[in-house]
Amino acid sequence: MATALANVSLSATRVAARPDSGKNPAPLASPFVKSPWRRAQRGWGMHVRARMSASSSPQSLSDQIAESVKKAEETCAGDAESGECAAAWDEVEEVSAAASHLKDKLKNSDPLETYCKDNPETNECRTYED
Amino acid sequence: MAVSTVYTTHSLNSSCSISSPTRTQLGSHQRQVVFYRSSSCRGRSSRGRSVSVITCSTDTVVIGLAADSGCGKSTFMRRLTSVFGGAAEPPKGGNPDSNTLISDMTTVICLDDYHSLDRYGRKEKGVTALDPRANNFDLMYEQVKALKEGKAVDKPIYNHVTGLLDPPELIQPPKILVIEGLHPMFDARVRELLDFSIYLDISNEVKFAWKIQRDMAERGHSLESIKASIEARKPDFDAFIDPQKQYADAVIEVLPTQLIPDDNEGKVLRVKLVMKEGVKHFSPVYLFDEGSTISWIPCGRKLTCSYPGIKFAYGPDSYFSHEVSVLEMDGQFDRLDELIYVESHLSNLSTKFYGEVTQQMLKHADFPGSNNGTGLFQTIVGLKIRDLYEQIVASKAAVPVEATKA
Repeated sequence: MATALANVSLSATRVAARPDSGKNPAPLASPFVKSPWRRAQRGWGMHVRARMSASSSPQSLSDQIAESVKKAEETCAGDAESGECAAAWDEVEEVSAAASHLKDKLKNSDPLETYCKDNPETNECRTYED
Repeated sequence: MAVSTVYTTHSLNSSCSISSPTRTQLGSHQRQVVFYRSSSCRGRSSRGRSVSVITCSTDTVVIGLAADSGCGKSTFMRRLTSVFGGAAEPPKGGNPDSNTLISDMTTVICLDDYHSLDRYGRKEKGVTALDPRANNFDLMYEQVKALKEGKAVDKPIYNHVTGLLDPPELIQPPKILVIEGLHPMFDARVRELLDFSIYLDISNEVKFAWKIQRDMAERGHSLESIKASIEARKPDFDAFIDPQKQYADAVIEVLPTQLIPDDNEGKVLRVKLVMKEGVKHFSPVYLFDEGSTISWIPCGRKLTCSYPGIKFAYGPDSYFSHEVSVLEMDGQFDRLDELIYVESHLSNLSTKFYGEVTQQMLKHADFPGSNNGTGLFQTIVGLKIRDLYEQIVASKAAVPVEATKA
């Protein structure tokens, strides 16, 4: 009996757990559960805006950095202690980090290698043993 | 009374098996032996004569890595995944801006994906990403818990380029799940799920120096803008990020050197590895004599070092009223023989062969910090996590789980 059982595999254990499946456990104590922001993630659809096109290039990120620094300086000119000022400088940090990560990514990648990883069967990605 | 003894064996793939209700004719004193292909199974025997409910899960070990933005989380992740072998890549064919990295053994997810407010929402409300109100800890907890239990999840993607939340990606439960970001130890429920946690504690001076290195070449930035950004984020950093270090099992502290008087270039670093005592499956690294206090300058007759030299310290200490061991390195390695010499004098490194630390450091000589304590201690923590994982898997495999019910 034991050996027979060992071969029974249960594929249903990999069911995707959607966070909004309705049978979520009751929210456990968290000081922010009641905040109005929580509503935002309950439905994916309404939260996803159209992606800006062609935005993932170092050049466009450099532009974004310059723009966000300018905006942060403007925002903080009125009140350097405000949440808006902190949020504006936080955006500068976020965009600067993204630019740095993107540069690392591009530095370590060869365009042909990247293409062939996704398309190993194409002619330009064939390798010959002899 | 029914007694069911469940023997578990570990298997390399993480599929799960189950036994459907079984019946035997052995009467009231029966003993059933069920073999599983996966560990951490729980068998519940019902009164009478059958094993009726078996729940199974995979062996997902969860590691938390906390640090501020721009403090070396990505480099640490690359070193960690390298210890486990195989390159970590973004999910194939998925969103090119996905923050996830997948290798054979590990999946690294970025907790920014649990932002509840995108960049525009934060701007509107005047909150930073460091603020818990910009993050959805309920969803973070539910999904990390599900992955730990061996269930796949549809995880959102925060797009760092656009600042928007992209459609979710499917994440399968890995053998080792690393959650890295600003808040892995902020929420008590998420903290409970962590098998091991690390905090990268970068001093203000070094943080400033690193951000100058990173950003000065950007035409939008100046010394003033770099300084202003650090200062504007500091109140939220101090309130929400920094306090997490008290929960970490290992803290890597990065400070300015003491070898050069009044150095503020941030090129030579003093790095401390604070290791909590009494953590299950984790025994701290030590220098010469476990538990003693030691100051060591390896540069002398046997090893010549260039200026400003290398200095080590080791000893017991207290950290947020926890008993800890602290290993400290000030200075940097200029030559390979210095690194090997140091490795050979450290104990309890959890290496699989002599020179493995040196080999790992050399393999990634181009990563930042490969010639100083940040690279050395990140590599050591990586080896410790591999050891922890292997111990957890072995302990689940070795001990038969006995489920008894009267």
